[in-house]
Amino acid sequence: MAPGRSVATSWFIAAVVAALMLPAGGCLHRILPSEGGGEEARFTPPRRTDPQAVAVPSGYRIEVVATGLTFPSGIAFDEQSRPYVVEAGYAYGEVVLVPGILRINADGSTTEIARGDNPPWNGIEYRDGAFFVAGGELSPGRILRIGMDGRITVIVDGLPSTGDHHPNGPVFGPDGKLYWGEGTATNSGVVGIDNFDFGWLKRYPQFHDVPCRDVTLAGRNYTTSNPLTEAPDDRATTGAFVPFGTPTSAGQVVRGQLPCNGAILRVSPTGGAPELVAWGLRNPFGLAWSPDGALYVTENQYDDRGSRPVFGAGDLLWRIQPGSWYGWPDYFGSRPLTREDWFRPPGGPSPGFVLQSHPNTPPPPVVQFGVHAAATGIDFSRSAAFGYPGEAFVAEFGDMAPAVGKTLNPVGFKVVRVDVANGTIQDFAVNRGGTNGPASLLEHGGLERPVAVRFSPDGQALYVVDFGVMTMEEKRPVPHPGTGVVWRITRTGAGR
Amino acid sequence: MSRRSPSAGLLALAAALLFQGCGSARRDAPFTGPQTPPNAEILLGARVFASSCNGCHPGGTQGIGPALNNKPLPTWLMRFQVRHGLGAMPAFGSDDISDAQLDALLDYLVWLRRLDTTREVRMD
Repeated sequence: MAPGRSVATSWFIAAVVAALMLPAGGCLHRILPSEGGGEEARFTPPRRTDPQAVAVPSGYRIEVVATGLTFPSGIAFDEQSRPYVVEAGYAYGEVVLVPGILRINADGSTTEIARGDNPPWNGIEYRDGAFFVAGGELSPGRILRIGMDGRITVIVDGLPSTGDHHPNGPVFGPDGKLYWGEGTATNSGVVGIDNFDFGWLKRYPQFHDVPCRDVTLAGRNYTTSNPLTEAPDDRATTGAFVPFGTPTSAGQVVRGQLPCNGAILRVSPTGGAPELVAWGLRNPFGLAWSPDGALYVTENQYDDRGSRPVFGAGDLLWRIQPGSWYGWPDYFGSRPLTREDWFRPPGGPSPGFVLQSHPNTPPPPVVQFGVHAAATGIDFSRSAAFGYPGEAFVAEFGDMAPAVGKTLNPVGFKVVRVDVANGTIQDFAVNRGGTNGPASLLEHGGLERPVAVRFSPDGQALYVVDFGVMTMEEKRPVPHPGTGVVWRITRTGAGR
Repeated sequence: MSRRSPSAGLLALAAALLFQGCGSARRDAPFTGPQTPPNAEILLGARVFASSCNGCHPGGTQGIGPALNNKPLPTWLMRFQVRHGLGAMPAFGSDDISDAQLDALLDYLVWLRRLDTTREVRMD
């Protein structure tokens, strides 16, 4: 510090400098619209694909395997290492189509294996001649076993999935059971206008989050307009873990039950009652077992929306300890939402606690992804030939700003690598250009919205499932059928 | 860890404003080549960044917060900003990031922005 300069002066200068450097500062953040996220993208068919538009590390090559897919959400391989994709049959924006499974042939063409109903089908697993998918929003969720002949057997039914989030990403564990993530009905525990805008509150006005274990409420309630009645000035008061328009009181106990929301569940592949693995996870989307036998899960974290918006919560990667509670709806990682300077949206209310007590303090997550990155699919490298053995690869779907909150620049739209041993993140496959963003924004043929990643059975190729183009128009998602792509990344040289 | 005077900070401000929006903030492996933190201190900083900073400044680029990689901010100013917060950015106390972790974080940020970005193969 320069002699003669007071501490106060130095701090004043620092504050001025910092203020000028922070266009996202509090009041500015509140006033300015979100003009920097994925909402800037516009799309005119057809979708182009150009591997040269995607940057991968030196010594790696990316190529196109299949195009023209509609809302693909996962990929699996049979004993002959043939790839199969699941088409979700649903996308945010309330576009409902037919979900199904397609085999990708060597020439990039596809052959239909199965088709079904009750989308979205989120993720796919293969074992012993059958596929396993998880899905459902328009009706209660299900876990399905689907034979190569297309015959569908329901092994779990009645999942609480008719809200914001759905059953996701089934994977087999080392115990031979099928694990999946069951997302929450709401953003942060309280049914609100945002759920009406999403479409489901009108379909299921009594639907709400169900806890896995008994919870005791703090009695926090939120009053909003009531879109379920014709009266323009009608108001509704709603608490946590209850239907829209239902207030709660301090000390009120909501009984836990299975199946529940915000949890990792498992079941025998022949069916039966779901078992609880872990809970308190908002939208556990991608599940993968590490080479050392631990379950890792990507969690889509809170949005800045609804009756109880939460600011600044990036998606998380967890190493799951069976039986633990992971913080939803009162913590972000191991940080409580009562920390107003962290989680209160600029100009908005403080989220506070909706629970009177908590099962445990959540452990620290492995890493934090970008806020609104939408960390989705995950897999681990097991091959020295591919490189990075023991490290996780994670697809980032990309932001849905401004519906989920504001951002200054597009976030996500890429594949990242996480060294889970030391808790660091690096981009692995990302669009070229002066800034980050989807190909439709950058006006080239690169990645749009990576939603799943999976290594081939020999571990030497990383397949990337690209959901396709989803633009944001007037705060609403507009998905574009037929724009999904499967990419493949292989190692060609020694550089890494 | 270098220490600079507030006067240097004002110069840095002018430079920062001059360069704000200029130069790519992208510093990840596809653009810079292999990244191996050269010592345990910078590796610790990378870990602190991934757990506490990456959410708003993914990879040091602009997300819901501004980019960090392409601005010549002095370390004393970054230290101040981390400890005191400003606007939408919260203050990180010593329970969130210890003094030793903050030293490592700042070393990492300086190392990150000095990486060579000229290896990026630009599109025609």
